[in-house]
Amino acid sequence: MTQPAIMVQGLRYSYGDLEAVKGISFDVQPGEILGFLGPNGAGKSTTIKMLTGQITPKGGSAQVLGIDVASDNPNLQAQIGVCFEEKNLYLNMSAKENLDFYASLFGIKNPETMEILRRVGLAERAKDRVSTFSKGMRQRMMISRSFINKPKVLFLDEPTDGLDPVTSAQIRQTIKEEAERGAAVLLTTHDMFEADELSDRIAFINQGEIVALDTAENLKLKYGKRSVKIRLRDGESVREEHIGIDDPDASARMAELAASPNLLTIHTEEATLENIFIELTGRGLE
Amino acid sequence: MTRPVSRAAIIGALLKKELRAYARDKIYLFLTLLVLILIPVMFTFLPETVDEDLTLAVSPSISTLIEDAKDSLKAMGATDAQLAELDETDLAEQEEGLLLIEFGNAEQMQQVIDGTLEAWRTNDGEIVLRDKEAGEAKPENAQKLNIDIGIAFPQNFIADVAADKKDVTVTVYSDANIGEEIRGAVESFVREAAYQLAGKELPVTMADENSIILGEDRVGNQASLKDKLRPMVIFMVLLMETFSMASLISTEVLQRTVTAVLVTPVRVSDFLISKAVFGTVMCLGQGLFVLLVIGGLTADNWSLVLTVLLMGAMMFTGVALFVGASGKDFMGQLFYSMLLTVPLLIPSFSVLFPGTAAAWVQVLPTYPIIDTLVGAMTYGQTWADSLGSLAYAAAWLAVLFIAGLLQLRRKVQTL
Repeated sequence: MTQPAIMVQGLRYSYGDLEAVKGISFDVQPGEILGFLGPNGAGKSTTIKMLTGQITPKGGSAQVLGIDVASDNPNLQAQIGVCFEEKNLYLNMSAKENLDFYASLFGIKNPETMEILRRVGLAERAKDRVSTFSKGMRQRMMISRSFINKPKVLFLDEPTDGLDPVTSAQIRQTIKEEAERGAAVLLTTHDMFEADELSDRIAFINQGEIVALDTAENLKLKYGKRSVKIRLRDGESVREEHIGIDDPDASARMAELAASPNLLTIHTEEATLENIFIELTGRGLE
Repeated sequence: MTRPVSRAAIIGALLKKELRAYARDKIYLFLTLLVLILIPVMFTFLPETVDEDLTLAVSPSISTLIEDAKDSLKAMGATDAQLAELDETDLAEQEEGLLLIEFGNAEQMQQVIDGTLEAWRTNDGEIVLRDKEAGEAKPENAQKLNIDIGIAFPQNFIADVAADKKDVTVTVYSDANIGEEIRGAVESFVREAAYQLAGKELPVTMADENSIILGEDRVGNQASLKDKLRPMVIFMVLLMETFSMASLISTEVLQRTVTAVLVTPVRVSDFLISKAVFGTVMCLGQGLFVLLVIGGLTADNWSLVLTVLLMGAMMFTGVALFVGASGKDFMGQLFYSMLLTVPLLIPSFSVLFPGTAAAWVQVLPTYPIIDTLVGAMTYGQTWADSLGSLAYAAAWLAVLFIAGLLQLRRKVQTL
């Protein structure tokens, strides 16, 4: 097994008396996408701030690419890409100028600016000022900016928050491409669908603590119901029948109902990530 | 792995970005054009000469003074030839630009100076007094006189002086608004006149001593409005640049673009250096440009003026860093701008109104800057004359610059 790109052990941070992150531990492998799923104020952004060197942890340890995040080592920032939740772009500069400027901060002589803009569908607007961009276009700019140095680790903080489905799908596709390239991705979101679709593993974070960490499949299996819901026409009304998969006569009963001319739909009853989160924490993701 | 990038390359990239952001903002451009074009254009229309004509009241009239003195002087042994010489004394003729208005008594003169009475001079040269409050009509074919200062000689002034009496005192009345330059000029004039009459210096008292001369007394060395305004214009350029720079920093902080910059290899120190260098260069560059356009640099003063200009540019950049980092929004920035820049502006007015620089004004950080600029550009002040002011300015410069840097550092580290 390769060395994890991100290694976190007992990481803590507090704002005054408020303990925002309470000793969390996890790791992310190269090429892996770890979804950090939790409601607003759970400690997701604070964790990213510590791992990107913006704030210094007040306890525990964290290494990114083998570099202690508390060491103020510029080699750390040279190898990471960060996409913030707030769209902090230079509005009076064009898309290309924004990316070229950030490339110059990494010492990149001939940045692949146009190629990156093409990937996020902004190549034709390269020379337009960002102030003229829509919210979705600015978000795509944010994503493209985090790719400018071909980072080995990507920190993406709510990358599709508030975007339309088409733009969200485009952004998710580029994130997958980065992971396929070999980048470790730490993705924070409170969108369970996004976490489910993108993440290799998911960490549920609530009130500064990781309450569960596993693949989406395992979480669903662990916390969901092992049953099938079958809907049948029953005269003028619709009837539902739930069959437990582990029941001894489940196979025979399902075969019987499947052959029925009154069959309407068959659904598995696995839990959604939100259901699991509610079960674990007693609160929702919003 | 990306090749390590040098600090110089990072700071260079940040400076390039600053220049681009500055050039793209309409407000900054407007302020810059205002400074670089409008101020020099306005400056060219200012008068280059100084109006040093002085209307001076005296009481009693010179002829009365002389007539009153003749008997006493004769008794003291003065010859007819000496008395005839006294008759030929014409003080007004001897002082260029002096218009002498004679009053019969000191009380009337005092009332004219304090505005209770109006003094008019007819085309025949006669002085007519008018009590406006009493409803007296304006005299015909007459011109109103503005008399703000007058000299009251005591009875038997000449004889007492000639007799070498010890308690002879001449009183100068002046309006409270009269500048110290004029008071000083009159004081000199009285001393000279008395010396001419008595052959020795006499004590001269000022009836109204509520103003204070601060700095060097410029009596006999008045500057034209243009000369006076030249340092103030430079000072205003620095101030305007402070607003632009503060706004640039504030935008960076409020839009959190600084946060994005600081997750690259850029260190906080790189960011601070780039802001400080950019602000200083912009301030200095614009100040220098305006200075070259409006004049003021000479072979004798250029090194001193440029040094003071650099110190001023750094001082105002420090203020801009502080203001830009302090305001949480536009209104907040405006509040801090006003809070800090208005006190810094006050010393510049002491140039326009000599004698108004009270002791507390001299304490302000910009006083040594404007004082040295005025001294060097208008009155030929040298390095040796300016060392005290420069040391004081350097102390304030260090305080403001460091305060600005610390405030900005604190801000970006807590975003």
